[in-house]
Order: sequence, then C-alpha cells, then structure tokens
Amino acid sequence: MSAEIKAGPTEASDPGGVPQKRKAALRRFFDAATISVMPIYAFTLLFVVGPLVYMFILSFLKRAETWGVLREFTWSNYTNILKPVYLKTFYESLKLAFFTTFFVALVGYPFGYFMARLSATWKRRMMLLLMIPFWTSSLIRLYGWIIIFRANGTLDKILMGLGITQAPLKLLYTYSAVVVGMIYALVPFMIFAVYSSAEKLDWQLVEAARDLGATPWQAFITVSFRLTLPGLLSGVVLTFIPSMGLFFIADILGGNKVILVGNLIQEQLMKARNWPFAAALSVVLMILTSIMIALYRKVSGVKDLEGLV
Amino acid sequence: MKKSKIPSLYLGLMLALMYVPILLVIIYSFNESRISSVWGGWSLRWYRDLFRDRDIMDAMTNSLILATVSSLSAAVIGTLAAVGMPRANLKGKGIIEYLSTLPIMIPEIILGMVFLVYFALIRLPFGMVTLAVAHTSFCTPYVYMLVKARLVGIDKSYAEAAKDLGATEWNVFWDITLPLILPAITSGVLLAFAMSLDDVVISVFVTGVNTNTLPLKIYTQLKTGVTPKINALCTLMFAATMLIVLMSAWFAKKSVRKTERRISSEEASGIRNSVGLAR
Amino acid sequence: MKKLLGFAIVLALLVSLASACQKTPGAPTTGEGPQDKELNLFTWEGMFPEEVLARFEDETGIRINYSTFDFNETMLAKLEASGGGDYDLVIADDYILEAVISSGLAQKLDLSKIPNIGNVNPIYQGQFYDPNNEYTVPYGAGVQTIVYNPDAVQIEIDGYEDLWDPSLKDSLGTIANHRVINGMALKVLGESYNTEDLEVIEAAGRKLIELAPNIRVIKDDNLQDDLLSGEIDVAVMYTSQVTTAKLANPDLKVVFPKEGIGFGIMANFIPAKAPHPDAAHKFIDFILDPEVSAECFEWLRYYCTNKAADELINPDYRDFLTLPEGFNEDMEMIRVVSAEAEEVHTRIWTEFKAACGQN
Repeated sequence: MSAEIKAGPTEASDPGGVPQKRKAALRRFFDAATISVMPIYAFTLLFVVGPLVYMFILSFLKRAETWGVLREFTWSNYTNILKPVYLKTFYESLKLAFFTTFFVALVGYPFGYFMARLSATWKRRMMLLLMIPFWTSSLIRLYGWIIIFRANGTLDKILMGLGITQAPLKLLYTYSAVVVGMIYALVPFMIFAVYSSAEKLDWQLVEAARDLGATPWQAFITVSFRLTLPGLLSGVVLTFIPSMGLFFIADILGGNKVILVGNLIQEQLMKARNWPFAAALSVVLMILTSIMIALYRKVSGVKDLEGLV
Repeated sequence: MKKSKIPSLYLGLMLALMYVPILLVIIYSFNESRISSVWGGWSLRWYRDLFRDRDIMDAMTNSLILATVSSLSAAVIGTLAAVGMPRANLKGKGIIEYLSTLPIMIPEIILGMVFLVYFALIRLPFGMVTLAVAHTSFCTPYVYMLVKARLVGIDKSYAEAAKDLGATEWNVFWDITLPLILPAITSGVLLAFAMSLDDVVISVFVTGVNTNTLPLKIYTQLKTGVTPKINALCTLMFAATMLIVLMSAWFAKKSVRKTERRISSEEASGIRNSVGLAR
Repeated sequence: MKKLLGFAIVLALLVSLASACQKTPGAPTTGEGPQDKELNLFTWEGMFPEEVLARFEDETGIRINYSTFDFNETMLAKLEASGGGDYDLVIADDYILEAVISSGLAQKLDLSKIPNIGNVNPIYQGQFYDPNNEYTVPYGAGVQTIVYNPDAVQIEIDGYEDLWDPSLKDSLGTIANHRVINGMALKVLGESYNTEDLEVIEAAGRKLIELAPNIRVIKDDNLQDDLLSGEIDVAVMYTSQVTTAKLANPDLKVVFPKEGIGFGIMANFIPAKAPHPDAAHKFIDFILDPEVSAECFEWLRYYCTNKAADELINPDYRDFLTLPEGFNEDMEMIRVVSAEAEEVHTRIWTEFKAACGQN
C-alpha cells in the first residue's frame, strides 16, 4: 500500500509500460497531495480570482450618467489618474507610508530585539500583551487617541497641569496625529517581524564578536543587525503596504485633510459613485503593492525568509 | 554579559503607551455624560443601556458564529493546501498561492465592493453565507502562511522514517505532521478569528438582512454619535479577551510549555510571512 | 483504505461546515405567509428611538430586523444586488431616491393601507424625486446651517462669505459632503448647487482653495462634539447636529446663510420586491401617528415632516424641529448632476482637501 501513494518523483523511476503510464497518470490525479490542494484551488478561483477579474474589467468601463456602469471600453479611468491632483494623492500616500514606516522601524525594531532577549516566560507574556489589543476593535483604539489628542483632552490636561503649556495644543486633526495613529496601528507587525528573526539569533555569535574586541555597538552592527535585517525588511513591507490603504486613520485623526489612495478609492466608490475609477485606482495600488513585495524578495532573498522559520 | 536595565524600561514604557488609549476608552465607559468630551462623573448607566440593547446580543452571536465558521474553514483549506502544495502535481501552484493571498493585500473597501457585485452575479444570497465566504477569503492566507512556515522548519526525516516503516500518507499526516503543525494551525485560527471579529469594511458590503455583526454595530454607532455605550461594550469585550487569554495561559502552563513558546514565535513569523509571501 | 477514510472525514467536515453556514439565522427569509411577522428595515443607525420600535413590535407582533448602511450609495448597491428584494422598508436621502425610483427598485405605495398619510406636511411632498407622491413618504428634513461660538469668533457671521475671513484661521469645521461644501463656494459666487457649467464649478474650486487655511476638520459624524469641546469655533453642519449642539450649549449662534439654503429630505420607500410589504405599510402608518412622530423627531432632531406632530413636540425642541416661516424661496435641493460635472466636483473637492492638508 505504501508504494501506491508515493508521490511524483518516485513514479518517474517506475518501469514504464503503457498501462502503467495510464495508471500513473490516474494515480497522480488522485494523489493525496493533489486532492488536499483542491479546496484552495477551488476557493481561490471562485472567490478571489472571480471578483478580481471583475474588478479588472470594471476599471476599463465607462461610468453611467448617474449610477452604475456602461458596457463601453475606455482608457479614461487610467488617464484620469494622471491628473495632477490624483498623482499628488499617490505621492502623498507614499510620503506618509515612508514616514510611518520609518518611525515604526525606529520604535518597533528595538522592541522586537529586546523582546527576543527576554526569558521564555516573559517572551510568552509579552506576546500575549501584544496580541490583546488585536482583539479589541481597531476603531475603538483610535477613538482612544481622540480622547488623548482633542482640545482640553488628556494630553492637554497633563501638559497644562504641569505648566509646560498654557493653552490647548490643537493636536487633533493634524498630520502628526495621523502619523501617531498609523504608528500605533502598525507597530505590532514590525515587532512580530523583528522578534521572530531576533529570536533565532545565535547570541554566541555576538559574544564571540565581543571576545574578539568589538565594542557592543560594533558587535550589534556587524552581527545582530545584519542577522535581523530580513526581519526588519519584512516588517517594513508589512508596515508600508497597509499604510497605503488605511483610510479611516486619516479620516478620524486627520480630520479628512490628509488624503491617501485609500481615501480616494472610498470617496470614488461611496460619494462620487464612480466605480470604474475606483477600480482603476485599486488596480494601480495593487500593482504598486506587488512591486514592493517583489522588491522585498529581491533585496532580502527568499532563502533568508525561509531560513528564519 | 551584564544585564542592562534599559531594555526592560523601554519595553515597559512602550507597552504602557500601547495600552493608554484602551485604558481611556475604559475610563470613559463610566462617564455619566452623553457627550464624550465632557466628564459628567462616574456612572454605570451605559452598561445598563448596553444590556437593554437586544440588537447587541444578536450581533455578538452572529459575530461569534461567523468568526468560528470562517476561521475553521480557513484552517481546513489553509492547512490542507500548505501540506499538499509542495508535492501536488498541478499546474499554476505559484500563481494560485499568490492569488490566494491577495485578499489581505488589496484595500478592503474595493474587495467589499467587488464581493458585493460578484455575489450578486453568482446569485449567492446575502447573509451568513456571503459573510463567511468573504471572511474565509481573508482568513485563509493567515493559516496558510503560518502552517507553511512551520512545515519548513520540520525535520523531514521523521516522515521519511515513518514511510520506510510502512506508514501510509494518511498515517504520516495524522500521526506525525499534524501534531507538529498543530501549534501553527492554532495560532493561525486565533489570528483569523481576531481578524474576522474586527472586520467592518468588507462586512458592510456583504452582510444580509438579519446578520448585523458586532464590529458593524460598533462602526455604525461610532458614526452616529459616540455614546459611552460603545465604550462600555468595548470594555466588556476587552475584559472577556483578558479573561480568555489569562485562562488559556493558565491552562497552557499546566500543559507543555515548549509548545506554548512555539505558538508565540509562530504567530510572529506567520504575521510577517503573511505578506512576505514565502514562495 | 485508510487514506480514503481520511478524505471522507475531511469531506464530511467541509460539508458540515457548509451546512452550518446555511443553518445560521443569516439566510434571508423570503416569501412569508400572508401574515407578515417580520419587517426588514434598512436605514442609518439611530433613526428611531428604541421605545418606538419596541412598541411597534408589541402592538403588531411583527419583529423588526434593523439593518444599517453608512452611505446612500451602499444602500443602492445592496438593493441593486438583491434586485429590490431582501428589504421591506428603506429610509434614505432625496437624491438617491431619484435613482432608486428610476431604476424600478421601489414599488408604489398602497395609500389605503396608510390612513395617517394625511398628517404629512405638504411642504415636503411633491419633490423632484417623486412628484406625485406615489413611492415615498418623507421622514425628516434638514438644512445646512452655520453654527458658531460668539465668544471665540470676533466677526459677525451672516453668510457663507464670512467663512473666508482670515480671522477664522484653523477654526472651521465642515461636514464631509462634497456637494454641500463645493456648493458653499457656488453660492458665494451666486450660482446654483446643481449647475452643469463646468467652468463655474472650476471657479468654485478655485474659490474653495482660498478657504483651505481656515479649515480645521472635515467630517460627517459628530461634528457638534468638536464645536462643543472647543476644537473648532465655527461649523457648517446638518440640522440634527445643530439641534444637538444648541441644546447642549444655548449660547451658540445659528445662522441661515444669506446666500441661500441647501435643503434635504429623507423619505421611506418600499423596495420593488420587498418580502413583507404589508408590514412595511403598517410601519409607515405607525410612525405617522402624531404622538409617535413627535417622539421620533425629538430623538432624530431633524425637521419634523409630520404636520400633526408639530404641536406635540416638547417646547424645548420645537423651534429647532420646525421650519422657520417664509423659508421656501431661498431653498435649493442638491440633485445628481451629469457625469462630467460630477467628475469636476470630485476633483475640486480632492484638490480642496489636499490644500487643507498643506497647512
């Protein structure tokens, strides 16, 4: 029975008459591995590819006068994106994403790195403490920041109470508020990424470097940092991509004044009723995202990523 | 190596900062005043209001059913795929793998919109079914990535040894692979569950007549006048999460510690890989 | 053999999962018996006080399934997806009703089942979206008004034009409806909200850019909170927000802009293939009852569209919930414009928001 279910490679070495070949082909089709991937094939084709193909087609259609779409081909949704204001939106999104990613790395890298050096018990506790906020509504967590930032809010009260400032700072609805909100929402991803690569770090290497006369800083740069770089890089990707599309942070904390591609898509869908344009924007965003991921793979190397696990 | 205090201080401080917004939401759930920017003294009235709100209970039930169904479906689809993919004799594996992760990479709003139109096109009735399909679509990548990452780390010699001893493919899967990847599946399911429990944007589009979910309820209430009732709801959810986490930590302590530790690092690498897309 | 068994188990698991999906209470219920025991209500969150809904359920034995949408557009998309089915009663804004009715997604009302129809204030009837009142019954109306805190503002505000005053730097909050805010600039230029002249809309866009330094926040929800907390000193907002703000702080000044007033109506309609049309008629009639209506409008805080309910409204609220006399001439409703005009509108709106973010 064991011979019967052996997978592909062994079959190639089987002595091959015609009946055997047919049998082999049949066997291949009913192969355990093949059957086990059937669900994801079916699901993906039916519920992911289907909708995406629809979106792609939609991006080449004309909008109807008031509502819906016309079945007429047009490039205009894509040429529309080239208008200065929409290009600027992409630029602004990229800018904010860079900002966010930079600060997230700044805050999250040391966190993940330090965390990897804790004892096993504390590692577990830290992980739970980081996971808990994930289980509370993300909208509500943002609402907490409103309480902090608003005029005469928590921060103002503390600062004025300490005599550091005299009047409310008017922090809510500023660019800084948006950046803080983005960092807050995305920093866990960076932490997880850095942590998982730092956790696999062989600390003896660092000690060896120290024994060879390296200063702590030199040892960090030459050994630890280089070995945790893949984690940092995947953290960067994980932060950068969602920050292009997160529209509600810019809405809620930025007072709608910071427009990202995500906001634009939402407005085109829900207010301007221009579905094809929204679809075109999404296609472009998807392409940008895919380029980011390809770039990441190139820079970090797939092997690194697998070796980490 | 001498231990510096700076790391612990940093970790403590950052963690505290992460919890400040949540803490404030909790404090304001006891605010007597209806207007959130005014503090009107301590009160439990919003909790009373919350328990009177019959829709919230329905929404809670719906959300739990939905999160369970979609995270378990994702577990089945994702695990089978991760185990079978390396050896499956099918074309386009790489492409399918890439495509199956798209739902967590494209903006939710557009995904919701295309789902709406697409479901209408294939005549799937709007309700729990459409919600479950949509949620499964973004839950599966998490499970898939986590399990896949775990499989890479497993010593293949176990399986080979078992096969040499005459074990069937199924035996190998059931007795060797599954126990080894179980922590990854568990954390994948937990993550998927959390994601499903927090989804608003997609749900808005694919929900049906009778299937309000809790996040939808929170979202619409946040939009139309934040009453501290929502704070109260979130406080209770937070308390429940804490309770579950503490309980599971307590149980885990009694069982194998090593497995637990694996879950944590699994979670971390899984989240990373979910977009890293190990190919 | 064992292999087969294994897949059988997995298959069984999948099937049971699939059937679990079907058994859950989510599946829409269509084709009840002659006696409707359910009402699928579809509207924004918070349109009715809990007590009113509970009383309707007690009196009629009909269970209300209250589903919500966030934008009119979401509603129309869902209605279209279900071919005008699934929902029994929808309440939405005027401009979208036009699209709903012209797409054949609404059914004609059976007025014999709505004895209270006579209570409706005729001012709110016979509008562009339903000139013969065949499909809709109004439920609430509103205007966009300027509200400001006289203690924090140095100038006297009596129209949109004053909002451009440099002394209001970084202290203005507006609702996030692009047509309303673009419309402000159009009104200052002496134009109509619904102009199809692309040049004029572009001009409004340029005018609007000059307003950017004064803008602190643009948002639809809970703008009144920002006015009350002192985050902003001046706000352009909807009637319900004005009412809430004014009730919380009577010192606030309410201004009906001299350039003209933007006006909107919300109305009930029954989708073409509503599964429980009888229940929907019953509900429309129920909320037209003067006492129920008064309760609803005190809760909703929009202008009362029920003439018979006007005098029953609590005097504290009445002034805010009834349209001031002689209001009709300056009012204009925002309607759907051509695709080209809409494209310019969204573009100047995006440019405006981008300019606001530059400060």
